[in-house]
Amino acid sequence: MERKIFFVFTSPSILVMTLLMALPLAMAIWLSMHFMTFTNVLAPQWVGLRNYIDVLEDAQFWQSFEFTIVYIAVVVPSWIVIGFIMALLLDQQSGIVRGFYLSIYLLPFIIVPIVGTIMFRQLFEPSGIIRWLYQEIFNQRFHYTEQSVKTLVLFHGVWYVTPFTLVVYFAGLQTLPQDLLEAAGIDGASRLQKIRYIVIPHVRSLTLFILLFSIMDSYRVFDSVYVLTELNPVYKAHTVMTYTFQTSMRLQRLGKANAMAVITVIGIMVVLIPNLYYSWKEQLAER
Amino acid sequence: MDRVTSLWGRILIQIVLILFAIYSIVPFTWTALQSIKTVRDAGSRRPKLLFSPTMENYEDLWLRSTPENPEALAFFLLLALVLLVGLLLFAQYIPGRRSLVYGLVGLGFAGLLWGIPQLLDTDRFYDFFLNTLIVTVGTIVISISIGCLAGYALARYVGLLGVVLLLAALAFRALPRFAFVLPYYWIGSALNLLDSRILVIITLVAVNQPFTIWMLRSFFMEVPKDLEESAMVDGANRLVSFLQVIVPVAWPGIISTALFTLLLAYNEFLLVRVLTQTNWTLPVAISRFTGGEDPRHLTLAAAASVSATIPIIVVILFFQKHLVKGLAAGAVKG
Repeated sequence: MERKIFFVFTSPSILVMTLLMALPLAMAIWLSMHFMTFTNVLAPQWVGLRNYIDVLEDAQFWQSFEFTIVYIAVVVPSWIVIGFIMALLLDQQSGIVRGFYLSIYLLPFIIVPIVGTIMFRQLFEPSGIIRWLYQEIFNQRFHYTEQSVKTLVLFHGVWYVTPFTLVVYFAGLQTLPQDLLEAAGIDGASRLQKIRYIVIPHVRSLTLFILLFSIMDSYRVFDSVYVLTELNPVYKAHTVMTYTFQTSMRLQRLGKANAMAVITVIGIMVVLIPNLYYSWKEQLAER
Repeated sequence: MDRVTSLWGRILIQIVLILFAIYSIVPFTWTALQSIKTVRDAGSRRPKLLFSPTMENYEDLWLRSTPENPEALAFFLLLALVLLVGLLLFAQYIPGRRSLVYGLVGLGFAGLLWGIPQLLDTDRFYDFFLNTLIVTVGTIVISISIGCLAGYALARYVGLLGVVLLLAALAFRALPRFAFVLPYYWIGSALNLLDSRILVIITLVAVNQPFTIWMLRSFFMEVPKDLEESAMVDGANRLVSFLQVIVPVAWPGIISTALFTLLLAYNEFLLVRVLTQTNWTLPVAISRFTGGEDPRHLTLAAAASVSATIPIIVVILFFQKHLVKGLAAGAVKG
């Protein structure tokens, strides 16, 4: 394809991304150097780097940052391990049984995240069934505390994205090198050895890809934490995103919130840059 | 992998699979049960599994006043719905003018959605539902049209510019929404577009564009190159050969991408929450039911959650293959 036609075909998309992604990003940086509330949106007041100093000195921001890291550290490995094991087990099934399980497993993932979290919360309401079970089994009352809310956020995170890794791994298992597996079988390799030496190397690139994307996605987790904390005003379990939301929508410190957004963008570079490098290599190899 | 052959092994696997299935659907089942209980039953400290079901929560949610003959109305609405869906399903067996049938079904749905408030005294939740449909359909149409052009060009162009564009899209996709949302708010107030559907649609198109072009590109890569070459030999230009030859071949992939766009637009919370004050879509509307001390919040939230989930489940039942295919194709890449 000639370059001219390439430009003609991509121009609407490039236009949208320039006007509504690149430009807003530059604007976020510009706005982050202003004092701005909802009353002076169109006439913000220049304050230089003041907002950045504010954010970096804000203990609550660092707490929310810490919880975000904990969230990533707990949730991402769980997705990978549970998703992989369940994909292996599902691979043992065939035909209609497989399809049936697959549609049930996909439910938490396709549901509106806000709604999924509300459903999750219904289980722990004073009249919820899990809360009741908890009280019956452990013989102690379930309380909303900062700790239990954070635990719920983590549980929900695992519950809601595992289907995604499950399906990706499941698809990966369908392309296993059969001849290798047969040869290993003839040589008397046990099932665990086959998984260790054939299946896991086979899904290695898939795992890397899941890892990079799930770190980026869990870093910006918002909806579920919003439902479980923002609407439950006593106990806070903020992540970076919900804390930014609170700063902008509740406290109306839009400049400071923009500074937080810019700092989060810098934070994501830790994963984004290796990811870009990896994709760059991959793209060049393809051509 | 080869199958586990021992009986106990097979039983164990089934047990784990069933437990995982229960774990996946417990929140749905519980919420669905709560949504058909009276406020009293739903609030009971000892969970009630036996109760007399009621539709009053759904009535509270969707309607302002109870209609005089609910059974007859429900019957007619269901009949119209079944007819339209049936027509949609059988459209592929109707020879010739298939697009005409699809157009008619679309018009029928629009008519039905317009007609319901004339027959029933609908509450605001219905407006939010309509709003969500408009935003979702608008986003899909714009996003997929411009995404197809770009995805196709990226699949065929070998120059370095293509790589640069792809990587830029990847970088944009990784950034947290807040890097864009507050500037969107600024743009919205500068153009006096806050609380309008246009702004929500356009910004949703933008934030989904990186993902869309990556995914569509991967599907266009699978289309053999000779196809458009032979069309171009016949004298068609790029655009015509693209629309008439490539798009039909890549159609399943386009449906997959449209499905993901649907989920993204239907699910979006943060963007809509910041950019609208009254013109909410369902996720924002539902989040309003969950706070507060009013005991009705519990059952209303349950009914709203179920109401918002049913359309998605119906769509996924129809298109499950496309969804799994999209996930497997590395949909996620973008």
